[in-house]
This record gives sequence, C-alpha cells and structure tokens, in this order.
Amino acid sequence: MSINSAFHSQRKWNIGFILFLTLLLVLLSQISIRLTLITALGISLGFVLQKSRFCLVSALRDPILIGMTQLTRAFLLLLGISILGFALVSWGASQRNIPLSLNVFPMGVHTVVGGLLFGIGMVLAGGCSTGIIIRIGEGFAMQMLAFFGLAVGSVLGERSLKSWRYTFGEWPGIFLPDIFGWVPTLILEIIVLLTLWQLARWWQKKQLGE
Amino acid sequence: MKKTLQTIIHGPWAYWIGAIILGLLNILVLIVRRQPWGVTWNIEIWAEWIGTNLGVLSDRGFTFEGLMAASGTYLNLGLLLGAFWATLVASQVRFRPIRDKKFFFSALIGGLLMGYGARIAYGCNVGALLNGIASSSLTGWIFAFAVFLGTWLGSKLLLKYLM
Repeated sequence: MSINSAFHSQRKWNIGFILFLTLLLVLLSQISIRLTLITALGISLGFVLQKSRFCLVSALRDPILIGMTQLTRAFLLLLGISILGFALVSWGASQRNIPLSLNVFPMGVHTVVGGLLFGIGMVLAGGCSTGIIIRIGEGFAMQMLAFFGLAVGSVLGERSLKSWRYTFGEWPGIFLPDIFGWVPTLILEIIVLLTLWQLARWWQKKQLGE
Repeated sequence: MKKTLQTIIHGPWAYWIGAIILGLLNILVLIVRRQPWGVTWNIEIWAEWIGTNLGVLSDRGFTFEGLMAASGTYLNLGLLLGAFWATLVASQVRFRPIRDKKFFFSALIGGLLMGYGARIAYGCNVGALLNGIASSSLTGWIFAFAVFLGTWLGSKLLLKYLM
C-alpha cells in the first residue's frame, strides 16, 4: 500500500473527526437513544466494511474473473453467523412477545429479474448499494455518480413494480421454518453453506492450482 | 504488537475477521431496530422526497420529519461516516476522480440498473440477499442465485467493454 507523503499525516483531521462523531452521538442521544445506537452501529459497519475490504461484488465476481474465492468463503461465513444469530434473536423475541419483523419478502418474476439487473448493475458501477456508500466515503467520484443512478433507478423501480406484479403475479414469501420447522431449516441451510464453501475452495484450486 | 496495531489502523483486515465482526453487528442491528439492516429502501424514500420538492415526482407522502425519524437514514449516514473515518485513521483521505470517460457511463448505467433491480426485488445485497437468507426466507436464496447470474453477465460486459 502506498501512502502519498503529502497526505501522510491526517492525524489532526482524525482527532477533529472523532470529536465531531462524539458530538453527533451525544446530541443525538438527547433526542433518541435508539437512533444513537443505530448510528453507532452504522458507523461500525462502515468502518469494518472499509477496513476488511468486504464487498459482495468482489465475492461474486472474483471467482469468475480471477478465480479467487477467499472473500466468497468469508461471505458464506457471514451468512452462517447471520442465519444462526437471526434464529436466536427471533426465538428470544417470541419468548418475550417482542414484535420483530424478518425480511421474508413476496416473490415473483420480478425477484429474478431484479436480481439479474442488480447483479449486472453492481459490476458496472463497481459496488453494490452498500459498497457504493463505502466508496463515496473513501472519496471515489465514480460511485458518487453511481449513487445518483441508484437513487433514480430505485424511484423508477417503485413506479414499475405494480405492472410487474400485475403482469406476472406475485406469491407470498416462504418462511422456511414454517415448512420444515426451525431445526431442520437451520441444518439444511448450514449444509448448503458448507457445500458452497467446499465448492468455492475446489474452484479456486482448479483455477489457480493452489 | 506494533505491527498488529499498524494493521488494525491501516488495514486491510483479513476477510474472515471482517465476516465475524460484520455478522455480530448485523445481529445487533436486528436487536436494536427489530428489523434487519437494509440500505436501498431508505435511499429511495429520500429520492422520493427530494423529487417531490423539486416538483418532478408525484407526492408519496414522505415528510422531512418522517425521514429524520427513519432508522434507515441513520444506518446509511453511519455507513458513510464510518467508511470515511476508516479512511481517515489511515491518513488515506483524498478525492479520487474518474480516470476514464467510459467509467462515467458505466457508473451511471450500473447505478440505474441496480436501483431499479433492488426496488422491484424489495432489496439490495444487504436487505434482500444477506438478510433475506439470514431470515430463512426462500426469496432470499432465489434472489441470491439471480444476483450471481447477473454478476456473471456483468463480468462478461466488463471484460468486453471496460477492461
């Protein structure tokens, strides 16, 4: 990693920025503790995403372009942790009668079309929605432009969703534990993730011979 | 020890370390927000509000107060501030201009496709893929497969026109 000497010391700016973040969180805590916690979590997510170079575009694209699957496998780990954590949290919430909504979305032709367009778009834009925000934080002009496209595109998507539903129909989302029960669902999902993990490792060996 | 500190500040961190911390943070967001982490929907409602005020979009009833009370606003703002801060602690802050005109178009077209796709599929890589799967929803797995195919098509385009 090369560090431009003219920018080598941004320490003063860093201290200033830490003061700014602290002030922001303190002020926000006067309004809402919940939003303060959420902002702190957002900052942590942004920090870790930047520092670990975590990017779903690379995770899905690099196996195809260069045969590397380290990030793909790390993403499978993230999925595994999230699946188990979500199961635990939703169990805990139901025990205490705390309302909790999970992302079980309706599906239809637009799920597949949307995924395809999203996949193509994120490769062209050099980052998914999250990745774009991270790269704007890093100072990339390209993703500032992509963000504008993203905002316009999402409005267009909202306007046309109705006709996708009308033309091809839509089915309610399937919450897998409703069909198989919690434990078999979790076992099944972990088996799928482990299989994909092995597949990714085999693919890298095949492509790079290592 | 000094080398470890150097890596923590300058990065990059190992992917698996990132995965573990991100997984824990993702679960914490679910606990605090009572709803999984998502990115794109909040961007759309801000765009709706701005568009309405510019007079180019029909009013969908989003108010400034409503947006400032939406947790998604703070997650996205946090992401931006966190990424900037991570760059700053490593003294790597600088503006990075677009090097080639073709990236101007690919960013714009890519962004449009992505926004449109995410909105008709009810979410992006975070809301629909990561947290769709984390929610044990079949839709999440279907979306993930479609995104993978799309990435493959996009990579073909990238190799043909941009690299």
